[in-house]
Amino acid sequence: MQLNEEDMGVEESAQAPRDLSALAAIASAAFLAACGGGGGGTSTSAATNAAATPAASDEEAARFLLQAQFSASDAEIATLRSTSYAAWLNTQFAAHQGPTGWDWLEARGYGVVDANNYFFSTYPADFMVWNQLMTAPDAMRKRVALALSEIFVASLASADFDWRSHGYAAYWDGLVKNAFGNFRQLLEDVTLNPAMGYFLNTKGNQKENTASGRLPDENYAREVMQLFTIGLYQLNLDGSEKRDGSGNKIESYTQSDVSNLARVFTGYDFDTTTGPRLAVPGQTYTINPKDSARLPMALNASRHSTLAATFLGTMVAANTPGAVALKTALDALFNHPNTAPFFCKQLIQRLVTSNPSPAYVARVASVFVNNGAGVRGDLPSVLAALLLDDEARSPAGLSNINFGKLREPMVRLVQWGRSFGIASAAGTWKLFDTSRSDTQLGQSPLRSPSVFNFFRPGYVPPGTVLASSQTPAPEFQLVNESTVGGYLNFMQDVIRNGFNIGTPAVPESSFTVFARDVTCSYSAELALVLDPAALVKRLSLRLCAGQLSVANQSLIATALATPSLSAASTAAQKLDRVAAAVLLVMASADYLVQK
Amino acid sequence: MHLLQPHLHTRRAFLRRAGHLAFTGAALPTALNLAAMGEAAAFNATDYKALVCVFLYGGNDYANTVVPYDNANYDLYSTIRQGGVGRTAGGIALGQAAMTPTLLTPSTALAGGLQYALNPTMTGLAGLFNAGKAAVQLNVGPLVVPLTKAQYSGADRTTYPLPPKLFSHNDQQSIWQSSSPEGSTIGWGGNLGDLALASNANSLFTCISVTGNAVFLSGDSALSYQMSTNGAVKINSVASNVYNSATVKSAMGQLVQQARSHVLENEYNRVTTRAIGAEGSVSGALAAYPVANAPFNAFPASNSLADQLKMVARLIAARSNLGAARQVFFVSIGGFDLHDNLIAQQGPLLGKVSDAMTAFYNATVALGVDSKVTAFTASDFGRTLASNGDGSDHGWGSHHLVVGGAVKGAAFYGTPPPVSVGNTSAPQDQWHVGQGRLLPGTSVDQYAATLGQWFGVNTAAGSNEMAGILPNLWHFGVAAGRPDYPIDLGFMA
Repeated sequence: MQLNEEDMGVEESAQAPRDLSALAAIASAAFLAACGGGGGGTSTSAATNAAATPAASDEEAARFLLQAQFSASDAEIATLRSTSYAAWLNTQFAAHQGPTGWDWLEARGYGVVDANNYFFSTYPADFMVWNQLMTAPDAMRKRVALALSEIFVASLASADFDWRSHGYAAYWDGLVKNAFGNFRQLLEDVTLNPAMGYFLNTKGNQKENTASGRLPDENYAREVMQLFTIGLYQLNLDGSEKRDGSGNKIESYTQSDVSNLARVFTGYDFDTTTGPRLAVPGQTYTINPKDSARLPMALNASRHSTLAATFLGTMVAANTPGAVALKTALDALFNHPNTAPFFCKQLIQRLVTSNPSPAYVARVASVFVNNGAGVRGDLPSVLAALLLDDEARSPAGLSNINFGKLREPMVRLVQWGRSFGIASAAGTWKLFDTSRSDTQLGQSPLRSPSVFNFFRPGYVPPGTVLASSQTPAPEFQLVNESTVGGYLNFMQDVIRNGFNIGTPAVPESSFTVFARDVTCSYSAELALVLDPAALVKRLSLRLCAGQLSVANQSLIATALATPSLSAASTAAQKLDRVAAAVLLVMASADYLVQK
Repeated sequence: MHLLQPHLHTRRAFLRRAGHLAFTGAALPTALNLAAMGEAAAFNATDYKALVCVFLYGGNDYANTVVPYDNANYDLYSTIRQGGVGRTAGGIALGQAAMTPTLLTPSTALAGGLQYALNPTMTGLAGLFNAGKAAVQLNVGPLVVPLTKAQYSGADRTTYPLPPKLFSHNDQQSIWQSSSPEGSTIGWGGNLGDLALASNANSLFTCISVTGNAVFLSGDSALSYQMSTNGAVKINSVASNVYNSATVKSAMGQLVQQARSHVLENEYNRVTTRAIGAEGSVSGALAAYPVANAPFNAFPASNSLADQLKMVARLIAARSNLGAARQVFFVSIGGFDLHDNLIAQQGPLLGKVSDAMTAFYNATVALGVDSKVTAFTASDFGRTLASNGDGSDHGWGSHHLVVGGAVKGAAFYGTPPPVSVGNTSAPQDQWHVGQGRLLPGTSVDQYAATLGQWFGVNTAAGSNEMAGILPNLWHFGVAAGRPDYPIDLGFMA
């Protein structure tokens, strides 16, 4: 079966050859290998090729959807069940829909130069990314882009350049574009993106000056290796660390590699050549042309290092042109044996489970190495392998007390919105930063506190049984006595009333008149309001793939029954009950841990 | 300090940090102390003491924090950092005259005419230093063993092991806090808390963070309890009727505190259970010390570190209500990873640090506990002395400040590093590992041990309490044959 993508008219690299039948064979072989060891418990139906089959139940469909995207609506479940997983994935890989983040900002008026100073503001980017996450039709693409934004981290929180919201829209749009593209292009686009250039200091990075002693800035050189491609220690394909003859871990790079690679990233700055600097009404200063926030950074050869650079066993000769040096460096990182397991394990952690087995990592990483059609870094193939793997699909995970991951707070909020018909009455989507940990989510898209993301892939929560076995649970880095309550209190208000927004009619930040502008409709849930058991069962499927325990379904349904309602009850009373049902499910541990 | 079998103790500490000796089971004991592990008995304090770790996330640039000021050393500094003519600011060098108000005047002058000033924004801390209430520990950083540059550059990693993952932010943060890189689950602040558990009526209030999760405060038994700058977060849906329903409130209280068979589910609910159990005590204790009252109303505004330290001050004021005799606090401020814009951004950040720590010290004076509370700075690493244009890159050793009434202030501790970035065999280039990345002359373990002995850790001959907390400490000090790396650095009374 050949993937059959159609170009949706967006800017895409040429379609990589891709062979899903090879993928399916990998998934199937892996399953058979797992079963061959006598490991029972999985149904025989799963022994068939996962890719080619439809989901066997609404619960299986919802489970897959909640790993692959944000929500599992009636329509999404029905669509998935009407086809095979592979065909569904093919459809997603072809879909690139809705306005880009950049175009949305323009359409909402944030591209104008006026007294609102949008070009110096970050909140338009908050509105943009929440809108994209909550409403874009190509949900899987956006879900993967969000995961990528937590690996290739750049943060609005420290953005301080002209057109910063546009810059982050362009960064986001690049992740969205490359989510179903190739890792190599993703790496290059990230490297030359203005927002990343500002964040990790490639912008303005100059070659050495032997007279003054100035040396190239090392920040991007270090973090592109440590965080975006190869990591600190040499890895096997299954993500485990290689050992030397003495049993020690082997560092994958040295300070010398960093200092040398840093030379490659010199000479870049915003491309401000596409237009004049812009006058700001009432001000004496001018600002960069808007395109400088989205065009790849430009190379100024006179500021690019002319020294030879040796890193990771790769040599860039002295006086190599900058573009050639960059290609050599990015190729070296892309082709490094660490990159496949380093990246794939983190992608599994973001979408499926905190602690994938080494064999699972190896299966996905081997698809990164070769997608079956000779292509390295083909992300749709990687995603298909990741989601169709038996470890993700097998019901064994549902009875494994260590399987799965804590749902991220921002993903919970997006799931809530998409599950219950979220809309902005004014169309302005003025959803701000939600980073406060004691009163909000303690997390907000594109606002990591540092390049190390909101949490580390190797974070082990102290004072838990996980500590005694050194088992990571990355998302628990956000869990503490403040944030558990911050989340519940925030959701208690938002679920019932929607977001209380200052002056929703205008695009700018303004707080003169508040209105509950962004709300969920709960139309299907309100239809079940007089049948608490049915309501809870429905929420269990939509929110946690039917994983709410029978006991807790009963606990919640019983609680909802009081106060009693009838068809004649007020709309407010009915909404109280629906909101209570949603809040209780979203507070339950059954829901909070995606399995 | 004499250790009969230092290897065994060190091994134990490493194993604990690696989790292999941690306690398993759904419910960790909360009042267990190290005595139960066969270690020395914990102290039973009748007075009050608190340690406050002020972590500067991102790796603070040491050279523009504690700055060479005398002409000879300033000129070396200015040349490397591309200062202006006439000792004016330029490149990433601060101007000399701007630092006259923050010149540090130690009670005993440094040798060779060496003088230091603090960053010009740090007027408060310079004042505390000169008043004898603050000290500077020079060139401190992670070390496994005492190390020369030749040993660093050599190939013998068995005799001269390096701290793992040098120059990496997340790992060096973790090593400063816990002696181990990312993934570590036991920090030395938490181990100090372990020793103090028996002294505190409510063990949960032994180790308190007013910023995000950090391994520093997690011990073998002591848990890191999290507060916001506004206090403990009350969960409204557990405390009050939910959307007009008492039964929903009741169900919520059950759901979020359920024991679960799934490991992640259970651990999440354990945190929530702890939060609910502690919130009433904390809120009640703090109610007697409102922010509008002195000394809490004297903290600077628009300063996140000051907000955190103000909460620490309120908690210290409420120590009797919280049943606390020994406490370890953790606060932080970020933004120090200044590869660019060092001059424009570091000064304001350090100004916030100085303003906040000065206000905090003043609050402890007002509360009558200034000699009972010691605050100290820590950071991922120092940075290069060399410039990358308008910033500096990741380094290793750094200078840090210790503040409090029990500090032997107006003094520098440790060895001043020469001001040089050359790659030569000359003496002035033997203290850095390239571009002015300081090779620490003092280990974090020594720094921690000096604070720990003041806090009450038993340092008597035969005691292994300190070795159980600081796994590399036995490589330092007189007993290790290294009196040049003393266990007690001397900055605490």
